[in-house]
Amino acid sequence: MLEVQNLMVFFENALAINDLNIEVDEGEIVGVIGSNSAGKTTLMNALSGLIIDMRIKEKRRGGERITVYGNILFNGQDITETRPDDRVKMGIVLCRERHPIFPESSVLENLKIAGYLKKRPEVLDSIKYVFDLFPALPKLKTRKAGFLSGGEQQMLAIGMALIVRPKLLLLDEPLLGLSPMMQQVVVDAVAHLKKRTGITVVISEQFARPVLPMIDKGYIVENGMLTLSGTGQELMDNPEIKSAYFGI
Amino acid sequence: MFIGTVLYAVVNSVILALLAIGFNLTFGISGVANFAYGALYIMSAYLSWMLLNLLELPFLLAAVISILITTLCGALMYRFVLLRVRGQALSEVIATFGIGLAILELFRYLGFVGFEYTLPVLIDHSFVIFGAYIDMQRILIVIVGAVLVIFLWLFTHHTSIGLAFRGIAQDERTALSLGINSDRIATLSVSFGAGLAAIAATIIIPLGSISPSEGYDVLIKALAVCIIGGLGSTGGVIVASFVIGFAERFTDSYISSHWTMIVSLAAILIVLTIKPSGLFGKQKELEERI
Repeated sequence: MLEVQNLMVFFENALAINDLNIEVDEGEIVGVIGSNSAGKTTLMNALSGLIIDMRIKEKRRGGERITVYGNILFNGQDITETRPDDRVKMGIVLCRERHPIFPESSVLENLKIAGYLKKRPEVLDSIKYVFDLFPALPKLKTRKAGFLSGGEQQMLAIGMALIVRPKLLLLDEPLLGLSPMMQQVVVDAVAHLKKRTGITVVISEQFARPVLPMIDKGYIVENGMLTLSGTGQELMDNPEIKSAYFGI
Repeated sequence: MFIGTVLYAVVNSVILALLAIGFNLTFGISGVANFAYGALYIMSAYLSWMLLNLLELPFLLAAVISILITTLCGALMYRFVLLRVRGQALSEVIATFGIGLAILELFRYLGFVGFEYTLPVLIDHSFVIFGAYIDMQRILIVIVGAVLVIFLWLFTHHTSIGLAFRGIAQDERTALSLGINSDRIATLSVSFGAGLAAIAATIIIPLGSISPSEGYDVLIKALAVCIIGGLGSTGGVIVASFVIGFAERFTDSYISSHWTMIVSLAAILIVLTIKPSGLFGKQKELEERI
C-alpha cells in the first residue's frame, strides 16, 4: 500500500531523515519507534505531505530551505510532491502529535470541521462511529475541546482523523503526555479499529512498551536512520530493544 | 433628546460594526490585516455609482454587480499579492496599504471628487419614534447589520466552508492535515471581507458622499473598532462598535461635536490601557475568534 524509497529530508544542511526505506501493507499496523529527535515527526510530515506545505511556506517567506529526496509511493502512485489536502482526498490522514484539535470549538464542531471533504450524511454517520469507538466523547460533545483532558483530546484527535474515513491513518506520537491508563485506552482503540474496519495504520511512538504488542511490523529509527526492523514480537524479543526501551 | 440620541447612537454603532466586520473576518481567519479595506469600500461605491449613472442600470443590480466585483478583487489581491508575503506582518501591511493607496489616489487623479458622487437611498421615507425623527435608510442599516451578523454566525457554524474558516483560524496545520486547503480558505476569507466592505458601502454611503479620503477614515474606524474589541473577535467588534458609537453620539449631543473625536480616542485609550489586547483579546486562545 505504502512504500517509502530512500527518503532523505534536509532542513537547510541538517539531515533529518537519512535514506529511509519503509513498506506498509494493506490492513497492517506498522510502528515507527524512536527517541526524541529521531525523525519520527519529519517522517510523518513527509508521508502526509505536510512537509510539502511547510516547504512552500518557508520558501515564500525566504525562511528555512527544506529539501526532500527519494520517493513515496501510495498504491503504486508516486505522491512525493503531492500536496497534503490532495493526499487526504486519496485517503492518507495524519493525526499530528500533541492532540491536534480546534480548542475554541466544541467536540461536535471539531468533528464537523474534520468532515470538510465529506458529504453531510457521511459526516453524521462517521460521528456516530467515532462516538461508538470512544464512548467518553458523546457526553462531552458540547464542551469546548480546549477544556478536555489530554486523553480526551487525543481521543477526539483520532476521531477527527477517522471522520475523513482514511485508508491509511498516520498517528504521530498519540501517547505523548498521557497517563498509562489513557495510553492503554488509545492503544485499545487503535487495535479495535483495525479489527473492526481493517484500516491500515502507521503509528510513530517513543513509548515502545504499549505499542510493540499491537503492531504487525515495526521500524526502529534513530538520528533519522533505520536501525532495526521486524515484527512486533521480534522487536520485543530483541535484547537491544529490551535494553533501550524496556530497561531490562 | 435622550431617546433621539440613543436611537442615533445605535445607528452609529451598527455603522461602525458594518465597517469593521469584514476587516475582522479576514484577520480572524487568514491573519492578514487588509489595509486596502477602506479602498475596497470606496471602490465598490464608485463602481455602483458608475454602473448607476454611466450605464444607467437599476440601483440594486448595480449594487449587486459592484459587490461581486469587489469580492473578486479581494480574491485576486490575495492570489497575486498576499500569497507571496503571507506570514510576514509588515510586508502584508505595506502591500495592502500600497494597493489601497493606489486605488484611492487613482480615483482622486481621475477627478472622482464632489458631492455629486453618492448613492441613492433605497427607501426615501422617515418616521417619528418616541418623538425623534429617523429616516428609513438608517433603519435599513440597523436591519442589514443585524441580518449580516446572524448570517455570519449561521455561515461559520453550519456550513462546511464556514466551519473550515473556523478550523483554519484556530490551527492551520491541523486543518491542513484534515484536507482543508489553507490557501483556498484564506483567499475566500479576504474576498468575503472585501464583499462585506462592499455591502457596508452600498448601505452606508447614501447617508453621505463618496470620496477617496473617506477610504482612509473607514480604514481607521475599522482598525479602531477591531483593536478595542480584540482583533479577530466578532463579539469584541460588536461590543467595541457600541462603546465607540455611543461615546461619539452622546458627546455630540451633550458636549460638543468638536469633542466627538477626542472622546472616541479617549475611549480607545482607556480600553487599551486597561486591556492592551482589546476587550475580548485576552481570551483569544480559548474563546471564539470568528
